[in-house]
Amino acid sequence: MPDPRGADTTLRAGFLRSASRFGDRNALFVDGAHHTYADLETYARRIAATLLREDRRSSDAPKLTAVLGHRHLETFAGILGVLLRGDGYVPLNPVFPTDRTRAMLVRSGVSAVVVDASGLAQLEEVLTGIEGSLLILAPAEADLSSIAARWPAHRFLGSNDLADGRSLVIPEASPDDIAYLLFTSGSTGQPKGVMVAHRNVRHFLDVMAERYGITEEDRFSHTFDLTFDLSVFDLFLAWERGACVCCPTAGEKMLPGKYVTKHALTVWFSVPSTAVLMNKLRMLKPGAFPSLRWALFCGEALPAEVTQTFASACPSAITENLYGPTELTIACTLYRWDHERSPAECHLGVVPIGQAYPGMEVLVCDESLHEVAEGQDGELLMTGPQMALGYYRDAERTAAAFVIPPNRDRTYYRTGDRVRRMPEGQPLVYLGRVDNQIKIQGYRVELGEIEAIVREVSGADVAIAIGFPRTPSGADGVVAFVGTGQHVAGTDEEAIAIRSAAATRLPPYMQPREIRFVGTFPLNANGKIDRKALLAILEAPKDPT
Amino acid sequence: MDDPGTRPKLEQWIRDHAKTPIGAIAGDTPLLEKGILSSLDIVELVLFIESLKGEEVDPDAIEPDTFKNLDAMMRGFFGA
Repeated sequence: MPDPRGADTTLRAGFLRSASRFGDRNALFVDGAHHTYADLETYARRIAATLLREDRRSSDAPKLTAVLGHRHLETFAGILGVLLRGDGYVPLNPVFPTDRTRAMLVRSGVSAVVVDASGLAQLEEVLTGIEGSLLILAPAEADLSSIAARWPAHRFLGSNDLADGRSLVIPEASPDDIAYLLFTSGSTGQPKGVMVAHRNVRHFLDVMAERYGITEEDRFSHTFDLTFDLSVFDLFLAWERGACVCCPTAGEKMLPGKYVTKHALTVWFSVPSTAVLMNKLRMLKPGAFPSLRWALFCGEALPAEVTQTFASACPSAITENLYGPTELTIACTLYRWDHERSPAECHLGVVPIGQAYPGMEVLVCDESLHEVAEGQDGELLMTGPQMALGYYRDAERTAAAFVIPPNRDRTYYRTGDRVRRMPEGQPLVYLGRVDNQIKIQGYRVELGEIEAIVREVSGADVAIAIGFPRTPSGADGVVAFVGTGQHVAGTDEEAIAIRSAAATRLPPYMQPREIRFVGTFPLNANGKIDRKALLAILEAPKDPT
Repeated sequence: MDDPGTRPKLEQWIRDHAKTPIGAIAGDTPLLEKGILSSLDIVELVLFIESLKGEEVDPDAIEPDTFKNLDAMMRGFFGA
């Protein structure tokens, strides 16, 4: 649908258009109930109006509002409410340790937070140690008097304080404004905040809506948490065209087989690990999911075998592999699975990442950022309308990752992924990383971040995190090797203490499952710690005695 | 199933896979809620239960509440 000149092209626009066209259709299924576009819009408008009326921030404060929540109506209405007030949203996940959430809250510089019931449950821990004054809006809570009494520095608003949404005048937002700020793992221990602009995500949504022919009849999975940028596909692509987002319960996320059929999903989008999990539980029987039109995967390397099995479980669907770091807005290359052609195009049992999205440009470079010859391996760099603005308040790391290669006149983002430069028309294949970043269940993990935290909590000089056990997509978890010495003796008690302390600082998928103490680390030919040797130690068969 | 060893084996499995070291597990300790097990562990747990039972479990017939705690698992999978 063409936008008339001057119309809103920001992230909220698709939802608002759908709400005016399809007010009575369901926008969302969550916590056992459907919610129409009209109801969701009303709630979002009330949240927006409340924030605008009550959030007294200075004119140079960032146009960002946080949403602390997980799969409740208020989480979704909160995100839309933040966008309707003209801000970008900063999703915070109650599943993460409160220390981490607090750090992200403080770094984002927000002055207001919308919380749902799950966010409210841990809010007091998150607030502990925060300076300054926050506005906290819990739209579903009638009585906040006791928490407000314990935290006089902050202002608490609940359901009785919600403004009338009909009076809302939606502030303008520019295509260059931040639509969402998402923190990703940082190799030196500090997460990086990726600033994705409205024009970045607009481009992505337009490409996807067109490619997949999304209509108001579609029913979308929602397997990704809001702190994972792939969730933007789940929500905003559905809402772009009047479709319904079907939020799974915790049980359904765990055992997804029934989730697909119960909701008669038409669009499936998940990390490959979920397909692997479903396969292990024998849920991918041929023809099991007749309602699916699209089976899409992203987030980590996609194993060819499980792709074939999943495709046979949804005979009416087209299966695709999507690739893209957060910095290139959700996904920026894709590959269509064809059961005849694709097996030969796979590399080392992994499905190709395919072709760049329309408008996005690929450059495969050597270490000096010169383009490699055709057929050669190198680092994938990309540029185009989906390239994000950079890292929030971090000029140094932005400059390191967003570069102008020699003999080029544009900025490219260095993905750190290794690919092969292919002849025109042939799909790109993913070969691995250039650094110590791995994927765990699709989540991006800088091993350096885990190592920094383990060093800190143990007092050790050296800590090395190894992804283990390995899977075809990456790893399922992490084991930390800790060097013994002055501060670390290497006892069982220390191992327990280190694991417990690390668990308060890291999201569940990054918490080391095991601590191994090492007196002398094996070194490779370059004199650097030999990570391959450490992995071999973990993979060695256990001594039968 | 009447094998009295089933509950201790199940408890040991949980302890081995727990996110943080834990001691004895009460029958009604909420495993997922407390973060002792994650949803990722559930697949392996189902496979382990199948090995204990010596037969396949129909994953589509499993109620997610069955994994709430040890008592629920014993009731749901072993009728105990």
